[in-house]
Amino acid sequence: MQNTTIVETHSLSKRYGNGVLAVDSVDMSVRRGEVYGFLGPNGAGKTTTLRMLVGLIRPTSGTAAVAGHAPGDPAGLARTGSLIEAPGFYPYLSGRENLRVVADMASVDGRRVEEVLDVVELRSRASRKFGTYSTGMKQRLGVAAAMLKDPDLLILDEPTNGLDPQGMAEMRKLIKDIGQGDRTVLLSSHLLGEVEQICDRVGVISNGRLVKQSTVQDLIGEEGVLVRAQPIDRAQELLTKMFGIDAISRQDGAIHLKTKPENSVQVNRMLMAAGVDVSELRPFERSLEEVFFQLTGEKQGS
Amino acid sequence: MIATIKSEWRKNRFRPAFLVGSGLIAGITVLIYSGNWYLATHPGKTERVVSLASLYPAHFVDNVLGAGFPLGAAMAIVLGALFAGSEYSWGTLKTILTQGPGRMTTWAGRVVVFAAWMGIMTVVLFVVGGSYSAVIASFEGQAITWPELETVAKGFGAIWLLFAVNGALGMTLGVLIRQSAAALGVGLVYLLSVEIIAVRFIDTVSNGDYKWIGNLFMGQNANALISSITPSAIAPAISAQQALLVLAAYLVGLLVVAGGLLRLRDVT
Repeated sequence: MQNTTIVETHSLSKRYGNGVLAVDSVDMSVRRGEVYGFLGPNGAGKTTTLRMLVGLIRPTSGTAAVAGHAPGDPAGLARTGSLIEAPGFYPYLSGRENLRVVADMASVDGRRVEEVLDVVELRSRASRKFGTYSTGMKQRLGVAAAMLKDPDLLILDEPTNGLDPQGMAEMRKLIKDIGQGDRTVLLSSHLLGEVEQICDRVGVISNGRLVKQSTVQDLIGEEGVLVRAQPIDRAQELLTKMFGIDAISRQDGAIHLKTKPENSVQVNRMLMAAGVDVSELRPFERSLEEVFFQLTGEKQGS
Repeated sequence: MIATIKSEWRKNRFRPAFLVGSGLIAGITVLIYSGNWYLATHPGKTERVVSLASLYPAHFVDNVLGAGFPLGAAMAIVLGALFAGSEYSWGTLKTILTQGPGRMTTWAGRVVVFAAWMGIMTVVLFVVGGSYSAVIASFEGQAITWPELETVAKGFGAIWLLFAVNGALGMTLGVLIRQSAAALGVGLVYLLSVEIIAVRFIDTVSNGDYKWIGNLFMGQNANALISSITPSAIAPAISAQQALLVLAAYLVGLLVVAGGLLRLRDVT
C-alpha cells in the first residue's frame, strides 16, 4: 500500500504577480498511508504549495497529481480533506451547522457530522456559535470539516498554530490517531518536534525549494556514540584504530563515533585499559532541529 | 448544483444580514405609509399634499415601488457586497471551494440563493405594503379594493429585478475587492451619487446629444421601469421594454464578470 503515491508534483512553481517566486520547482511525492511532514520556516512556501494541491492557486509552471487527479478536480477533491491556514467558518452559525453546510456542499450524509464531532471531541460544544469558539476549538472544527468526506488524503496546514501546549499535544494525538491505517496525512509545520513525533517521512522546503525529502530516520542520520575523554587526542587515536577514520569526527571537544550504542561497553573498556579517562559516553543522535537548520541555512536561536 | 444550493440555503436562511435587511424593508414601508397617512389626515401641516385615496389598497403597488427604489436597491447593494465579500474576510471561500463542486457550480448555487432572498425581500415589501394599505382603508371605513393581478405581478417582477441587479452590483464589487466593507461603500456611492452626477453631466454635454449614453445607466432604466407601472404625468424617456432589456443585461453581465473573476483568480 505504501509504495503508491497519492500526491506527486513535478517542477511545481508559483510566481505571484508581484514577482515573488514563492515555490520553485518542487518535486514532492507523498506515499499512500503515510504521515508526511512538510517542514519549513515561515514564508518558505509551504502554504502556497498546499493551496496549489487543493486547487485554490494555479501553478505558474509544473504539474501535480492529487489522489490521481489534477489539483482542484472535483473527483480528486472528493477524496481529499483539507485545512488550509486558519479554519474558515461562518461566525453566526454553530459548529454543527457549519459542518452541515460543508457536508451539504460535499454531498456527504448529515449523520457523518455527528461522527466527526465525536472524533474531535467537540460534540458537547457543537451547538455554540463558531464566533465564540476558542482557537483550539476552531482548529478542531477545521479538522472535523476536513474529515467529513472520510478522505483518503488529509492535508493539514499548520494545524497546531495558535494552540497552547496542551492544545498542541491534543492535536498531535488527534493527528496520530487519524493517520492510523490507510489514510494519508500531509501535514505542514514549522515545529520540528511536532514533525519528529508524528511523521513517517518529511520534506524540507526552504526559500520555495524542496531541499530534502526522506524518512525522519534517514534525515537524522546514522546512530552513533558521543565520547568525552582525556587526553582527547589519545582517545581519538585509539578509536580511529578500532573503528577506522571514517567513523570518527570531532565536534565541540567531543568525539562523534559512528557505531551502534551497544558498542559503548567495548569502547569504555578499551579506553580505560589504555589509561584514558572517560567523562561522558552516551548514544548520540542528531536532532531534526540540527538537520533542519543545516538544510535551510537558518541560524539556530535566531 | 443541488448540493451547492442546499448548502448555500442552509448557511443563508438565518443569516443576520438578510433578516435585518428584510426587517428594514418592512420598517421603511411602514414608515413611508405612516408618514403619508399622517400628512393625508393633517392637511396644511406641510406644503406637501397627500391624497388619502392614494394610500388605499388599489394603489399599494405604486407605494411599494416608491419604497423599493432607491432605498430597497441600496439595501440590495449592501447585501450583495456582504454576501460575496464576507466569504473572503471570513476565509470561508477556501472552505467551500475545496469540497468538490467546481467554482462555477458553486457560484451558480450562490446566485440562485441570493436571487431567492431578493424574492423574499420583495414578498416582504409587498405583504407589508398591502397589509398597511388594507389597515388604512379599514380605519377610514373604505372598501378594500385590490389592484389587478397583472399590475401586482408587474410591480413584483420590477422590484425583484431592481433588487437583483443592484444586489449583483454589490456581489461583483465584493468579489472584485475581496472584502465587504469597501465593496458596499463603493456600491452605495455609485448608486446614490456617481451615477446621478454622471447622467446630469452627460445630459448637458452638446445640448443633450449624448443623452442616449445617460439612458444606458442602471438608475435611469430603473426609474423608467417603475414609471411604466405607476401612473405618471411625464412620459419616461426610456420605454419599459428597453428598460427591462438594459437591466436584464446588467444583471447577466455583472454575474458573468463576478463568476469569471471567481473562476480565474487565485484564492489566497
